Amino acid sequence: MSSDTSPVPGNAALRDPAHQVSPKAPLLWAAGAGIRSLLLLVAVVVADLFWIDVPWWVYPLLVVVLIAYVVAMPRVRYRIHRWESTDTAVYTQTGWLSRERRIAPMSRVQTVDFEQGWIDRLLGLANVTVTTASAAGPLQISAIDKPVADRLVDDLTRRTEAEAGDAT
Amino acid sequence: MTQAYPPAHPPPPEPPTGYVPDVPWRRLDPRMLLVHPVVELVKFLPVLVGIFVLGSNGNQGWWQLFGVAIPIGLGIMRFLTTTFRITPTQIELQRGLIGRKVLTARLDRVRAVELTSTPMHRILGLAKVEVGTASGAKQDDDKFALDGLPLDEARHLRVALLHRVDVAAGPDASSESLPRGHDSYDASPVAPVEDEQLLTFDPGWVRYAPLTSSGSVIAAGVIAALGQFSDQIGSRLFNDPEVRHTVEHLSLAAAIPLALAAFLVLGAVFSVLGYLVTNWGFSLARDSRGRTFHVRRGLLTSTETSLERERVRGLSVDEPIGLRLAHAGRLYAIVTGVSKKEAGRTQLVPPAPRAVIDETGIRVLEQPEPLTLPLVQHGPAARRRRWTRALLGAVVLPVVAVVLVLTTPVPGWVVLPALVALPVGAALAVDRYRRLGHGLTDQHLVVRSGSLAGRRDIVQRTGIIGWNLQQSWFQRRAGLVTLVATTAAGTQAYAAIDVPEPLAIALAHDAVPGLVEPFLA
Repeated sequence: MSSDTSPVPGNAALRDPAHQVSPKAPLLWAAGAGIRSLLLLVAVVVADLFWIDVPWWVYPLLVVVLIAYVVAMPRVRYRIHRWESTDTAVYTQTGWLSRERRIAPMSRVQTVDFEQGWIDRLLGLANVTVTTASAAGPLQISAIDKPVADRLVDDLTRRTEAEAGDAT
Repeated sequence: MTQAYPPAHPPPPEPPTGYVPDVPWRRLDPRMLLVHPVVELVKFLPVLVGIFVLGSNGNQGWWQLFGVAIPIGLGIMRFLTTTFRITPTQIELQRGLIGRKVLTARLDRVRAVELTSTPMHRILGLAKVEVGTASGAKQDDDKFALDGLPLDEARHLRVALLHRVDVAAGPDASSESLPRGHDSYDASPVAPVEDEQLLTFDPGWVRYAPLTSSGSVIAAGVIAALGQFSDQIGSRLFNDPEVRHTVEHLSLAAAIPLALAAFLVLGAVFSVLGYLVTNWGFSLARDSRGRTFHVRRGLLTSTETSLERERVRGLSVDEPIGLRLAHAGRLYAIVTGVSKKEAGRTQLVPPAPRAVIDETGIRVLEQPEPLTLPLVQHGPAARRRRWTRALLGAVVLPVVAVVLVLTTPVPGWVVLPALVALPVGAALAVDRYRRLGHGLTDQHLVVRSGSLAGRRDIVQRTGIIGWNLQQSWFQRRAGLVTLVATTAAGTQAYAAIDVPEPLAIALAHDAVPGLVEPFLA
């Protein structure tokens, strides 16, 4: 353990990870949000028809909120979601209302998962998940361009293979 | 010793060098012939009761004989069909009445050995040996158990098994061929040496038992179980005119405190009993070479758990409010396992005085700082968050009470007791802030939080395998971060809650040198 690292100044802050996700990501998130919103609307309508009386003003309110969600959420999220992979660590940032940054040292990476859903495939996107030996620490890099994801997976696999030990 | 396998023989998984093929299979201790039939008889008890009840009507003595003979026969068969052997590289267990099953565990994967003796075992001087391996495979549901061996032999076996692990996992493991050449564990050079005693049980500690929540949980369980019979008991009681009279004239104001008192007394009694049964004779020891910890406990069934020191990634001082007010606590080891399922906590000290906890913790870590270090507080923004959260929660009860009084025929005085929530909330806020803190020693990260279920977690810095910095929208506005250290041990995540952002990043930077440095702004 090297204890001779430079001291951190009192106003230390982390910078954002270097890379943004794919510019097509907001489209993907908007599609997902749209589908969820429609399902919610249908559920409310069905409930209104069969079980409970939903006051009329709920509908315009709900529609406004859902449209705001579908329009605003992907934009905000696109600004927040970022990732970076260096020789020594993987660094991600996710969230939209809340924000979470995760850092895992390359030497502790256990698995690198590549995943593509059907919408991802249509848009040429992919998700990469990096796990460590801790159940609390998977780093998810979602909605990046497929070629970027391929390169990242290759890169991570090569780097983690070089590390010895059982990563616990 | 590099003997080739016969070609027809399927090679065992990753055969290490020095394989000795002809280690004879051994039976377990013959005294198990006395244990097994009793165990089987107990298992068959419901059937037996049925048979005897039915049999008592007629004269079917045969059936009763069968009912006893079959379990005893099963027990004997179990003994006869179970054999084991320990080769220089692995331990094998063969068993099965109808289907045959061979369990194999590689010795260099043995991570924990547990000895358990039921009262029956103890009378006969036997112990069941359970071997925990780091196979990572799904089949570790199949617990590797030798039930049973003479206690001395079991302890000897444990030393041999764990010693081998040590050899294999040592720093020179990769350069040397795996385990050094022992022929079998009997010939192991490790002589049983005196363990270093870290903690000895004091029966006076039982006074802390009612302060834990376990007593009320057991009491609630008992009451629920009684509830199952309440129909019968209830109807019988209510047919008794005297009882009926008393109950009907008991006002609600008297009944509630009465029930509460009964519950508390029951809870206290059961927690004391539970404490004694599980913790009697509790002892924590470290073997003479400092490689493993041994935890021994139990009034009726005694267990001895061995924990490789390598797996201990820290300590957790548990201070639920009841214990804390009595200056007591519990101590757990934060333990890693190779499969996530077996990672967790092992109790090192049962509810005991704080001084004992600290003393034992210091002995386990062999340094005092992690337990005694004064912690850094998280500042005014964190305090404000404690207050808003506690008061928002506390306001709910009075508000609900007021609404109820205004809209329903609930009497007005109900609001008064509901107001008690406010001072309670305030006290909680003060205490929660006071408890919030973190610290860093040269080897450990210390985080503390929680009021009602307070905890001080001490995590080895080399065991930290990542950081999560979480910020809710409110935290971001307040400039606070919840810094989570992820590990492969214990609860997998240890959080310093609501740390001012620069402080959190400095802490992450200092605790694991070099990790966050490339990402500093």
